[in-house]
Amino acid sequence: MNLQDWLTVWINIDRVALGFGVTVLFFAFATVTAFIGGCILVYLMEGRPSFLKTSLRSGLDVLRTLPFLIVLYLLYYGLPQVGIRLNAWTAGMIALSLYHASYYAEILRGARVALPQGQIESAKAHGFTSFRMYYRILLPQMVLRSGPLFGNQLVGCLKDTAFLSIITIFELTAAANDLQAVYFIPMPAFIVVIALYWCISLVVEQALRSMGRYAKHRGLSYE
Amino acid sequence: MDWNAWITLFEGAWVTLWISGISIALGIVAGFGVAVLRNARIPVISKFLYYYISIIRATPMVTLVLFLFVTAPYLPIDIDRWIIAVAALTINTTAFNAEIWRSALATFSREQVEAAKAAGMTRRVMLRRIMLPQMMITSLPGLVNEMTLLIKSSPAIAMVGLADLTRITNRITAVTYEPLPPILAAAALYILMIGALVRLQRVADKYARRLAM
Amino acid sequence: MNEVLPVIEVRDLHKSFDGVEVLKGIDFDVNRGQIISIIGSSGSGKSTLLRCINWLEEPDSGSIRIVGDRVGIRADGKTPMSEKELASVRARAAMVFQSFNLWPHLSVLHNVTEAPVHVQGVNKDEAIAQAEVWLERVGMLVKKDAYPWTLSGGQKQRVAIARALAMNPEVILFDEPTSALDPELVGEVQGVIGELAADNFTMVIVTHEMDFARTISNEVVFIDKGVVVEQAAPEKFFGDPDTERLRQFVSRYR
Ligand SMILES: Nc1ncnc2c1ncn2[C@@H]1O[C@H](COP(=O)(O)OP(=O)(O)O)[C@@H](O)[C@H]1O
Ligand SMILES: [Mg+2]
Repeated sequence: MNLQDWLTVWINIDRVALGFGVTVLFFAFATVTAFIGGCILVYLMEGRPSFLKTSLRSGLDVLRTLPFLIVLYLLYYGLPQVGIRLNAWTAGMIALSLYHASYYAEILRGARVALPQGQIESAKAHGFTSFRMYYRILLPQMVLRSGPLFGNQLVGCLKDTAFLSIITIFELTAAANDLQAVYFIPMPAFIVVIALYWCISLVVEQALRSMGRYAKHRGLSYE
Repeated sequence: MDWNAWITLFEGAWVTLWISGISIALGIVAGFGVAVLRNARIPVISKFLYYYISIIRATPMVTLVLFLFVTAPYLPIDIDRWIIAVAALTINTTAFNAEIWRSALATFSREQVEAAKAAGMTRRVMLRRIMLPQMMITSLPGLVNEMTLLIKSSPAIAMVGLADLTRITNRITAVTYEPLPPILAAAALYILMIGALVRLQRVADKYARRLAM
Repeated sequence: MNEVLPVIEVRDLHKSFDGVEVLKGIDFDVNRGQIISIIGSSGSGKSTLLRCINWLEEPDSGSIRIVGDRVGIRADGKTPMSEKELASVRARAAMVFQSFNLWPHLSVLHNVTEAPVHVQGVNKDEAIAQAEVWLERVGMLVKKDAYPWTLSGGQKQRVAIARALAMNPEVILFDEPTSALDPELVGEVQGVIGELAADNFTMVIVTHEMDFARTISNEVVFIDKGVVVEQAAPEKFFGDPDTERLRQFVSRYR
């Protein structure tokens, strides 16, 4: 691990940057879609239980007991057998969004159950229709109250993006592996890449802390 | 899927189970050690452990497994691939378990510690007889949750060439040309394994709550 | 020779928290077989005194002896005791806490045998036989296999008393043993302590229950703002106090 090796990483920084960009892209896209998906899923499970709602809930429970990679396998390797052929990027985006949506739904449902019943009644009394009530009154509180749990979920999603390298997507971990395979510089390549993952996680945590302060400011402190 | 495919699948499940099992056991013990060390607030060591935990929390399992796998040949000794897999899983889960143990240490009832001291216990006896048994129960829900996360990230060990429950589906498909059945069967086995742990977590939760009463 | 030494001897005890002096030179003796109640308003330093006696709090200056032996400091008067030495001297004064502090992972029986077996090295069968005797005394033998979370507050406190007795201590220190109890449970715990008093166990009891202090004690001590203001037999203490401060304090509880 001499200066030469580090220079090699520097010379190939465009490859690392490309991988970094792909990782951040997947992470950001999946976070947004999974979060919106989670919100919608919880809305679909609002109200009196029905067969559909119960099945949806069980389906999400099952999804959360699977490793992310097996979901990815299902979409990328499994579906072609029934005639649905997705390219690696599409399969990756869908798998990551769907999988993490099930976790966001669970987190938000936990916050939803903890909300006082009186709020719903007062919202109804003010003439809110149920969807408006959900996204104007309930959702903001659910989101702000679950703040601390989002931290682990976001970092979990970031880490799951590395599985995408297994279905040939050139993201950050693939970039490190590429560099070490071509130039035989495993140490510097992986140290740089792990440092980058770490930086993303620090940024995410900082962002959540700001959100926590905002929540406190609005009187919706955690727990 | 025929019998041979099922047997192959179970072989994969077994690889997942024993590699994860060893790592879980090592990680629980090592995590406790790290937590106690961090609690001792020894200047350099405590800073080092802080960064270890912070960095490992952000490092994907695939990346960690690959990192160890490609750097291992530079060591002067030959290392088996299963050791690399166990090492990666253990390094990862130890960081998370250390946080669980540390919070159990930090929140341990001061009053019970006083009752133990007043009864003439030394710190060693108190740790072994009063604190550890209770911390095992209060930490169990968190530890079991971490076990499920470990198993969910365990498919990363395929990077060292081990055919775990996920990777083995590729091998079966290579023979049968039908990818869906083995993947679904593997999913069902994961549901069984992790579902059992989730159930255990609920039971553990109940006992932990009783202790707090 | 032990007969003449006080069981507890506190001399010129000082203790401050964050620059505020909580104990301002306490002198205090307990003789064998004596039952001493300590009363005083909340925050006056009663708990701190009790906690200093078995070194749960380290005093700033002064000395504490249990049957002649220094607590916390070695015989040379300077060196702090090792953890082992401290543990063995602590075991001579048992403590009963306001909030019971039973060990929730152990059954009633094992709460009582824990210290004898793992601190004093008593043989396990012997410890169990002894524990059953103590549990019988506090009326909790029927619950010996129960776990603390299934017990009422009064039952927990009775187990805590059995746990204290099982160490064969020179003295039992009670810190407001009935303050955390629902009113209807106070009597059962006071009854148990009363029976121990009848058998001449040496006890120091911090309490807010004046009638209890009057009937049970040989002497009552009034602590106010970190000093012992008055110490006397109950008839004198409650009937004819020397100081105005005590007169006022007692009248508030009439
Ligand atoms: N560990 C501590 N740290 C800081 N202050 C304390 C501590 N323990 C007791 N004090 C303070 O010392 C004073 C006496 O407390 P305590 O002995 O508990 O009184 P009492 O038992 O008579 O009600 C109180 O003002 C209390 O706030
Ligand atoms: Mg007190």
